[in-house]
Parts: sequence; structure tokens; C-alpha cells
Amino acid sequence: MTVTAVGDTAVVSEARPPRRVRSGPSKRLWGQILLYALLVALAIIYIYPFLVAVATSFKSDAEAAVDPISLIPNVFSWAAYETLFGRSAFPLWFMNSTIVTISVTLGRVFFVSLAGYALARLHFRGRGVIFALVIAVMAVPGVVLLIPRFLVLNQIGIYDSYAGMILPLLVDAAGVFIMKNFFESIPVSIEEQARIDGAGTFRVFWSVVLPMARPALITIIILSFQGSWNELSHFIVSTQSPELTTLTKGVASLASGQLSQGSQYPIKLAASVIMTIPVALMFFIFQKKIMSTTEGALKG
Amino acid sequence: MTSNTRALASAGALVVAGALVLSGCGGSGFDDTGDSGDAGDGGLTSSDDALSILIGSSGEAETAAVEEAVAAWSAESGVDATVSVANDLPQQLSQGFAAGSPPDLFYLAPEAIAGYAGNGSLVAYGSELENIDDFYPSLVENFTVEDEFYCAPKDFSTLALIINTDLWEAAGFTEADIPTTWEELSAVSSALTTDGRVGLAFGPEYQRVGTFMAQAGGGMVVDGEAIANSSENVEALEYVQEHMVDGTFAYSSDIGAGWGGEAFGKQLAAMVIEGNWIGGAMSADFPDVPYIVAELPAGPAGQGTLQFTNCWGMAADSPNQQAALELVEYLTSTEQQLAFSEAFGPMPSIASAADAWTDANPDLGAFLTGADYAQFPPNQEGSVDVIADFNAQLESLKTGDPQQILDSVQANLEAVTG
Amino acid sequence: MTTRVIAPRRSGPSRIRTGEGVAGWVFTAPIIIILGVFLFIPVLMALWVSVSDWTGRGSPLSGNVSFVGLDNYAAVTTGGGLPERNFGISLRNIAWYTLLVVPLQTILSLFLAVLVSRAILRGRGVFRTAFYFPSVTSTVAIVVLWLFLFSTNGVINEVLSWFGINGPNWFSDPRGIVHIAAGAVGLGAGPEALVSSGFLGITWWEWLAGPSVALSAFILMAVFTTSGTFMLLFVAALQGVGVELGEAGMMDGATGWQRFWHITLPQLRPTLFTVLTLGLIGCWQMFEQIYTGTQGGPGKTTLTPAYLSYQSAFISQDWGQGSAIAFILFVIIIFFTIVQRWLLRERPVSKRRARRYQVRGQRS
Repeated sequence: MTVTAVGDTAVVSEARPPRRVRSGPSKRLWGQILLYALLVALAIIYIYPFLVAVATSFKSDAEAAVDPISLIPNVFSWAAYETLFGRSAFPLWFMNSTIVTISVTLGRVFFVSLAGYALARLHFRGRGVIFALVIAVMAVPGVVLLIPRFLVLNQIGIYDSYAGMILPLLVDAAGVFIMKNFFESIPVSIEEQARIDGAGTFRVFWSVVLPMARPALITIIILSFQGSWNELSHFIVSTQSPELTTLTKGVASLASGQLSQGSQYPIKLAASVIMTIPVALMFFIFQKKIMSTTEGALKG
Repeated sequence: MTSNTRALASAGALVVAGALVLSGCGGSGFDDTGDSGDAGDGGLTSSDDALSILIGSSGEAETAAVEEAVAAWSAESGVDATVSVANDLPQQLSQGFAAGSPPDLFYLAPEAIAGYAGNGSLVAYGSELENIDDFYPSLVENFTVEDEFYCAPKDFSTLALIINTDLWEAAGFTEADIPTTWEELSAVSSALTTDGRVGLAFGPEYQRVGTFMAQAGGGMVVDGEAIANSSENVEALEYVQEHMVDGTFAYSSDIGAGWGGEAFGKQLAAMVIEGNWIGGAMSADFPDVPYIVAELPAGPAGQGTLQFTNCWGMAADSPNQQAALELVEYLTSTEQQLAFSEAFGPMPSIASAADAWTDANPDLGAFLTGADYAQFPPNQEGSVDVIADFNAQLESLKTGDPQQILDSVQANLEAVTG
Repeated sequence: MTTRVIAPRRSGPSRIRTGEGVAGWVFTAPIIIILGVFLFIPVLMALWVSVSDWTGRGSPLSGNVSFVGLDNYAAVTTGGGLPERNFGISLRNIAWYTLLVVPLQTILSLFLAVLVSRAILRGRGVFRTAFYFPSVTSTVAIVVLWLFLFSTNGVINEVLSWFGINGPNWFSDPRGIVHIAAGAVGLGAGPEALVSSGFLGITWWEWLAGPSVALSAFILMAVFTTSGTFMLLFVAALQGVGVELGEAGMMDGATGWQRFWHITLPQLRPTLFTVLTLGLIGCWQMFEQIYTGTQGGPGKTTLTPAYLSYQSAFISQDWGQGSAIAFILFVIIIFFTIVQRWLLRERPVSKRRARRYQVRGQRS
């Protein structure tokens, strides 16, 4: 069998080998059913917690404690949301998160594409060194930077301000990587053309190359949005006044710490649900993009 | 190669230059003295800046009471002041001090004072207080470091036995049955323990279990000496352990409550060991549970309980310490302390208010009498970590070895008292 | 100008065009400045703090802060007091956490990837979305959710009660699961040898305690949130696996499992390496979950080195020790990355193994 198969590789790849060794179609059908049953069961396990969170946010405190599993509240209650929006600083947190996320995303897109382009296309002394440094940066684990960043923010004087929250997040090594890879894939001829027409370097970048980079830019936008919206440790060390609390820090204080009075699950879950909505929306809209990007970014 | 090295060198130069600039300019975040006010030698700073007050609230009642008091003073004195509730008071204070922008006034616990006083974060304004002679001496002692009286005690509380009167009467007990010895406590807890409810619950920490240690004649630090692993303490922990094993005592965390008050309010326990703040919590969250406050029973060495106090710490970096001082004097006045007491329960820190307090709170007398024989938790620098470690080990008391636990605490305690 | 265009673009440093050199630096200036100021300089400053006696007031670069050598590092590793004990406890916790999370999440994500790859095209998208969604949410939201699910009378315990199991008090239970198992078999307290000596301030018996029940809840959380991300990696890798090899294996009579183990898995090696490394690095950095959820409790069994570093500095005002712990953590993470790389490097196939895979007969 081996010899004949080897000699006729074309035959092997076109036609499925006769299923003499395997059982008939019924076994295959059972296999498929089992597969799907397993997939559905696992999917339910993965989705259920979020459904329960939403459901619980509409229950009363007592019901949430007594009957945590049910997905439909006995008595539908908006109390959690009312407290959240009416009698707590939640709207302020939301606003702060929005401000920081938008600023960081815009900034990152701009700086990262500039740097990515320079590293991909421009020839200048020290290009290799800078690229090596960018890669080295990716190796530094975030937690090591907690104390150091606090010290530097203080030293510079931007501690406890929007600048302190936004500036350190403005550059992301992985983003530079992604943009660089993308720019390298753009044919050089286009740039050459623009240069012949007399455009300066920045002009070439801004008007010619950048518009073509839309897919990669969308990737950066998605990653930046997600990263800065979900960021917590940086905000812990960079701010202390209540006016600058972001959603992550605020909800963390709801979960434990003095602001969490007893087990008021509906409010805590309502807060976490609302906090998740923007990223969830972004996720569902850009699903395919996100999932293929993650593969690409992590592989690279 | 050469261009690369050159690039590396210039990048390195950039970084080094940056570092030098940073160290040189020092940054506004690290100012050592508040320069927006005049601070004469030994005097307090004064300016027009608003005051910021950071408190570690026990609940809405406390927050509302403090905010009201501060607002009233603000209107009267014309100085703006804002109150914020800390999510994690020690962390926010440490971060604030390190950043050079701490709150002007804040709750300060005795165990924290040694550390902050040591690195110059606090200003010792105690001697400037008008009503300095009115404070209880034991409280003043707690807040005196190296003969400097740092801050005004704002109130104090003790621990007592809180009993659910409905469940008490349902079990057939009367006032005569309130336990006054350990044996009686065992019997009563046993009778009150049913399915889904324990007789006695308390938080999983030295700040509660320590009452038993005091009742057995032990403690943590006496006259500067660590006595954590004394046989009296072992006896106390064994007593607690015995009852945790037979189910009549329990930690509030083990029965699904965040603290003793919640366990009591949700009737997961018939009795709890809690302090003055239970009053505010019960009326706010569990108004329907009737209770009485009784003195804790006596152990082999007599009665014992713990007392806690906080003071109004003032930051050395505050630009307007004079106004802060006036605010503190206002907040520690008889009238204001009685108002706080009514709102969330603690006892006034000034002796002149004691009678008025007893008259206003006849049911809470047990707390005040407890002050006669109460112990303070240790407050040496570094004792916070020792207590934290003790608490961590106490969480496994049910299956642990009291002698071993106390031996390790003794070792740690000797390191900070020695 | 025309000459330049025609010339081949195989340029080295000598072919730098005027203006481009400047532009290059200008373009990368923002990232150099930001990375330099907020990454390199902080690391240098923290290094200085870790070898100084700065107490937390005033600038650490001011005159009255002095150099104390490796005192802070010594206090944490050999000091004999609480700092050493806390560090030891945090290392034990994170070691057990990593030991359990990395294999679990790798196996689960591979399993999910295999399942998803076999589903029909249409269904695939739905399932991928379902499994990946937890990875999109923030740590804080998931921790809040977990605190709810694993509360004493929460969802998990209720489901367990359907099977007659009395669920533990998850986030309040400090008992190590290995100790629980040992207790069930009758080894209540540890053997004398293990209890009398120790390392970093805790006895060997305590080192072997396993993750506590509370930490186990976090382990499940980690697997829940990261399996989706790694599943995507494996799905992409599986798509790249050559179909022909699998067919050839089937020809040789290999069962599905053998095919998977000997053909598919080796081809997934690079992805496997990536997943393991990322998993390892991610585990050692555990901080936000602890900050939001248990702050090191119960009984210090969820204390991680990263959280201990934060706690020492920001709460106990031991900035030197906190920085020292952070750097030790840094070194450990880098070390593991290097070890990973070395272990899973491409090794030349030995002759003996090569012979096993030689196909009998002629190959075209």
C-alpha cells in the first residue's frame, strides 16, 4: 500500500482513501454529534458567567444572595443601575476612562505609525539599534514598572494628572512592530513615485503611505482601545485624587476596599457589565479582525 | 559597525542627560517643604489653601456625619474643606506622602504613627491644642512618639459582646444568663448554635481574638516586652480553637459574612464581638434586628477587651496647618464628639464628655466600662506587618497549632520591640 | 535625480539620502523619548531605590538618601524576619499557580482549537467568538464576576451541591489543596523532616501545601480568560499543518491519537513554545487580580511577588524592599524565558529517530 500510495501522490490527495479500516457512516455521525455537543457545552460554560452577571445586575440584593443561578430575576429591579448612575461617582469614572482611552488611542496611532514607518523604510544611522531597543522593551514585564513609574512621574511633576495617566501609555512596542511589518509589505515603487514627484519624507508618509495602511491602523486602534480601557496598574500608581479615578480603578474599589459594603453583588456586577460593554461592542464589530490580528501579533 | 556604536552612544548620552536633568530639577512632586505658606521655626504653616480631609469610614453614617461637621466649620470659618473617603487608607496615605501631596488631615492609627513620624511626614501639633488637657492620658500616650504628642485622638471604642435579644429570649435566656465567665460563654453559645447559625462569631483577626488573650491574662506587648507566646495566650487560643471545632464559635468569613456586624445582621450568628461602630451599621443596614450590648465575659485572669483609637493626623506638607488645627479643635469639641457618637457610635476622647455620653447612651454603657480594663494593640514601628502575619495565621486557627502560631508571632514581635 | 532612481536599492549605510537621516530620527523621536523617560529611566531609578535607604519622602535622588548596597535584597532573601517570610510565601504561591495554570491552559486551548477546527466553517466563527470573549474583558470585571460566582452561596457551590459536594468557602479558604488531599489520606500534620527545616522562612511542608483553595479559584479564572487567546494561536497553527502528512499517517495505519501525537503535535512546536512562554510570563506577573480581589488573603495564600512588591512599597513604605522584589521578579521572568527558549529549540534529529520516520521504498 505504501509503495503504490507514494508513487501516486496525486491520487492520494484528490480522492479520500476507501474507508475499509474505519466503520460506516453512523460512527462518523456519532462522532460529529459528540463534537458539537462538546462544543456547545463548553460554549455555554464560557458564556454563562456573563449572562449571569447581566441577570444579577437586575436582581435585588437579597435575591442575588439567595438565588444566584437563575438567569431571570424574580423581581426585575433597576436599583443597582440607579445607585450606580445616580448616587455614585460612576459617570465620572466612565468619563475619565473615555478621555484617557481616546487620547491614548489617537496618540498611539500617530506615534507608532511614524516610528514603524521610519524603522521600515527610512535609512538612518542607528536604525538597527533603535529596533533592537524596541524589541528589548517588549521583554520588560509590566509589573516591574509599577514602583519605578510612580517615582518618575513624581520626579517630573505630572503625578496625579491626566498627563501622567496618558503619556506613559502613548507608546507600545508591539504596535511599532505591527506597523513596521505592515509598511515593509507595501511596495517601494509607490513611495519612489511620490519622491520623484518631489514630495518630502513626511509628505510621502502622511499622504501616500499612511492612507494605505488602514488595515494595520485599525488593528492598532483596536489594540490600543482594549489595552487602555482595561488598564489598571498604571492608573493605581499614577493617580490618587478621586476626580481622576477611571472605571477600572473605581470598579476595583467597589469589589473590595472600603467602598464595598458587604455583598452588594447587583451593583458590583452592574458596574462590571457596563464597563465591559464598550470593549464587547468593539469586539463584536471587529471580530474577525481582532481574532486574526491576535494570531499575527502573538506569533510575531 | 561604527555608525551603530555611534548611535548607541548618542542614545546612551540622551538617556544619561535625561537622568541628570531629572535629578537636577528635582521635580515639583518632591518638594520637602510647603513653599506656599510661611512656616516659622516650629510654627504651623498658614495660607488660603483649601483643606483636604481623608477618612477611613466605617459606613455611610460616619461619612455623612464627618461631612456635615466639616461643612459647618467651613461655613463658620470661611476656609474651604473637602472630605474624601479612602478606599485603602494606608495605601493612599503612603502614596500621598511619597508623592508630596498628602491630604491635610487624615485618620491616623497608632500603629501607623511610628512609621510616618519617623520619616517626617507628620507635624506634631499636639502641644498646640487648646483642649490638650481634656484628652484621656492613655489615648495621648498612644499618639506620643519620642515625647512629642503628634495628633489629637478623635474618639475611641472598645469591644463588647453584642447579643441578639430575639434569639436570646427564644432560647429561654434572661438578663441573668448573660455570660460572665468562659464556662458560661461556652454554655450559652452552645445553646444558641443551631443549623445555619452559630452561637458566637467574630472577625478572623487579632483585633477580635485578642480579647480572649486579654481575658486569659496575656497580650502582645507589655512594658515594651513581647509576650506573644506566653502560656496565657496559648490557653486563650486553645479555648477559641476548641469551640471553633465543635461549631459554636466561628469566624465571620467562614459563615459567609464580610465582618461580624454583617454576620449579626443577617442572623448567621446569635452573638458577635464588635465595637461601638456596630450601632451605626445596624441602624443603617439591619434596623430590624434587636440587640443589647454586654461586657465580655471574664477569662481565667479576669475581664479583658481591646480598645481602638484613631487621631487626626496632620501632614507636614500641608500648606495651611493653622486652619487644620482649628478644624481639629472644632471636631474634638464636646458638642461635636457627642454628635459623632450619636451618628456612628464611638466614645468621645475627652474626659469632660464622658458623663454626657453615658446619659445619652444608657444602653451602650458596657463599651465605656470596658475602657477600664482594655488593652491597646501594639503600636511599635513594624507592628502592623506582625499583626497582619498573625492574622494570616489565625485564619487557619481551627486546624492549626496555637503554640506554633504564637511562637512565630513572638519572633516577629521581638524583632520590632527589640 | 534620474541616476538615483535607476540605481539598485541594495543600499547599505552609505546610501543614506539626505533628509532621510534627519527624518528617521524625528519620526522615532517620540517613541525614543517616551520609552526612555517612562521605561528606561524608571528602571534605573528603581534600581537606585533598591540599593538605597529612601524612606518615601522627598526625592530619592536628593542628598540625604544613601547607598546601602544589597541590604534590601538581603532582607528579602536571607533576613530571617517577616520580609523574607513574605517573599518566600509569595514565591511558593506563584510557583504553584504557574505549575497548574500553564499546563492547564495549554492543554485546554489546544483541545478547544482541535474541536473548533473540526467544526464546519459556519459554526466555527460562533464557537471561536464564545471562547475568545473572556479574553477581551478587563481583569477587574472578571474578578468581580469571579468573586460573585465563587462566593459561599454562589453559583459554583450551588452547582456542586447538585452533585452532593459541599463546596468550600472558596475565596476565604486558606488551606492548600495538597494538604487537604494529604489530610484525607491521613497525613494530618507534615512528617517531622519536612516541618523542621525550610527555605526562605517557611517550612518544606508549607512549600508543598499546594495552591490554596482561594488560589485555585484564581487558577480557574486564569485558564478561563487565557484559553481563548491561545486557542486562536493553535487554530491558526493547525490550519498550517500539512494535510498530506496526516494522510500518509493514516495510510500507515496510525490511529487518530497516534497521528495527533506524532505528526500534528511536532508541527505545532513553535506555537507550543509561544504559548508556553507567554503563559509563563503572564503567570509570574499576576498582580491586578490580587489587587482587585483578595489583596493577598486569605492567610497570605494569594500573595504574589508582584503584589508583595506593590504592598511593601506603597503600603508599608518599604520602597527599597519593594524595588528589590520587583527586580528579583524581573530576573526570574527573564530566566524562565531563556530556559524556555533553550528547551524547545530546534534540535537536529538524531540518526536513530530519523530512521523511524524513513519511508520504505522510493520517494518521489
